[in-house]
Amino acid sequence: MMEQEHLIDLSNISKDYDGTTVLSNINLYVRKKEFVTLLGPSGCGKTTTLRIIGGFEYPTTGTVYFEGQDVTALPPYKRQVNTVFQKYALFPHLNVRDNIAFGLNVKNHKIGKANMQRALFGKKTEGNQLQKLSRKEIDKKVDRMLELVNLKGYGKRSVDQLSGGQQQRIAIARALVNEPEVLLLDEPLGALDLKLRKEMQLELKSMQQQLGITFIYVTHDQEEALTMSDTVVVMRDGHILQIGDPKRIYDEPANAFVADFIGESNILRGTMVEDELVNFCGVNFPCVDSGFGENVPVDVVVRPEDIMIVGEDIGQLTGTVQSVLFKGVHYEMMIDTGDTVLKVHSTVMQPQGSRVGINIVPYNIHIMKPMDDVKSEEEAEESV
Amino acid sequence: MYNVSLPWWAWVMMGVGLAVFVGFIILSVRRNHGVKRSLFASPYTLWMIIFTVVPCILVAYYAFTDANGAFTLDNFRHFWDSNHAKNELYATMGDEYAGYITRGTVNVDTLVYSLWMAFLCTVICLLLGYPAALFMADRNMKIGATIVVLFIIPMWMNFLLRTIAWMSLLEDNGLINSFLRLLGFEGVQLMYNSSAVLLGMVYNFLPFMVFPIYTSLSKLDPKLGEAAQDLGCNEWRTFTRVTAPLSLPGVISGITMVFMPSVTTFFIPRILGGGNTMMFGDLIESKFLTEGNWNVGSALSMIMMILILLSLGILRKADPEGEGGGIA
Repeated sequence: MMEQEHLIDLSNISKDYDGTTVLSNINLYVRKKEFVTLLGPSGCGKTTTLRIIGGFEYPTTGTVYFEGQDVTALPPYKRQVNTVFQKYALFPHLNVRDNIAFGLNVKNHKIGKANMQRALFGKKTEGNQLQKLSRKEIDKKVDRMLELVNLKGYGKRSVDQLSGGQQQRIAIARALVNEPEVLLLDEPLGALDLKLRKEMQLELKSMQQQLGITFIYVTHDQEEALTMSDTVVVMRDGHILQIGDPKRIYDEPANAFVADFIGESNILRGTMVEDELVNFCGVNFPCVDSGFGENVPVDVVVRPEDIMIVGEDIGQLTGTVQSVLFKGVHYEMMIDTGDTVLKVHSTVMQPQGSRVGINIVPYNIHIMKPMDDVKSEEEAEESV
Repeated sequence: MYNVSLPWWAWVMMGVGLAVFVGFIILSVRRNHGVKRSLFASPYTLWMIIFTVVPCILVAYYAFTDANGAFTLDNFRHFWDSNHAKNELYATMGDEYAGYITRGTVNVDTLVYSLWMAFLCTVICLLLGYPAALFMADRNMKIGATIVVLFIIPMWMNFLLRTIAWMSLLEDNGLINSFLRLLGFEGVQLMYNSSAVLLGMVYNFLPFMVFPIYTSLSKLDPKLGEAAQDLGCNEWRTFTRVTAPLSLPGVISGITMVFMPSVTTFFIPRILGGGNTMMFGDLIESKFLTEGNWNVGSALSMIMMILILLSLGILRKADPEGEGGGIA
């Protein structure tokens, strides 16, 4: 059964704050050892979804299942998940070592209490007879974590003395030392500079593969999502727009919003003339999509790097180069076709003001239903 | 129009102060080719010198001199040996009276009593104030802001008035006793004992405990509580492991702000204690105003000051950054 593979299931989750709907009817499952990213602009409900999984918010309606068990009403301290908070939320009164050991110490305390109750009252408490961790074992685990996050020898430092990147690692270590089934990460790299971010992205990904823990990751950075994830969940206004692996999300966006949000794209209004023929910018282009009907308005999405610049005489379209920007790997050119302005990425520069021809191969033209229709359709079927 | 009549020396002092201030500005503008920001503190510095440093020196002067202005340590001995005069008399009466010489310690008793009362007052304020502050700082409680206002409003009223108001409640014919008699009970003696004094002290000093704690609690990042829960703490353990230790600076500054005025209280015991109880503040006051013995009064004040400085020093150790925002 597929169901058994699912670690977390969100079923028909909705959340209202004082009458404002933040999440409407979210259905989502997460498999074991999967790296799932919730991606969307701010206010799309991605953080709320994460907080519902963590137990910090309770959904207005709907159910959260963890390995098939209903955990909707469980408080955070009874869930087998740990969270890396957006601004780390390290305990300022504890040093690095004590911050990391926090969860283990609390667990020890609980076991001690349960054992004492058993001894005193012969009371049957939940779970098996557990052995307390010795100080040595805790130290060993903490040391291993410090090593994992490359902060060996930082144990005695105060957390205020650490840089943003180091605090970030401590926050990850503090969560991972508890060996959770699932790690929730709420924009953990948001406060870091670009270089550090890229390094941490790779480190996180390798940590996840090394430890075999399920990661649920929230971000608004599409590049981050594409780099790290097994599955990307694109959200907007409390709805899930698309779920898929990064390549599929990038190559076959479900609608113009996803296309625009994931990477750069030209979104054009067009008309489906017939199957495999679309009209935009006043020209008919052969394409690979079909089944929309004839003479139906559609959104056409073309990635800037998929537009080829050719000689003026052989182009499907012609235009004038309006502006040229150097972007490092490529040049970004805005080409005015008279009808619209297209964004084009190319490693070959065309001088500003020159006339060029434009070709687009059929499979790089993505046809989708106009956005207004997508919304109303979503309300109708609401399934993933 | 009010007739502003000040003695001539007051005008001179003000003139000198102003001249120093202006001189200061001119000098520093010249030297630095611009105005230094610390300059604007100079009126306050001047004020401190005239009304804090100079009186302290005067107190020290009186404490170490006798009525004729000669150096002596008698005033401090007097603190320890308050039956000084009586003992001197016995000493002159020959050996058979030697046994009567007593280390009378009325002053020490008063000091111990004051410290004990201040300690009780601080503990009660802490026990009452911490939960109140916790309640006020809770973001989910919409009523919190209202309670803050309720705590502030009594502070707008005069301190004496508030204490006298308690009198009309606790008196033999006061509101509480009248009510008890109305219900057919015997009247109860509520005033003129230590409990009434303690009640008055707690009532007056409670806000000084609540507000520093409230400040440090409301500065607390709610994410820290969530992090603790995430790592396995239930509500109580979250409190003991995260909230309480992080509100410690507020608690320390609250303790300071309650303990110090409590030790030096002198009006409340007179009103609510009716002379049956005497605290160190009352003792100092009576030395100055009733006995007119400025030298002994100054010595007692100095002892008080040293005690306060010591306790401040200890609290500084516990809260080195002064995060509680109190006066410590």
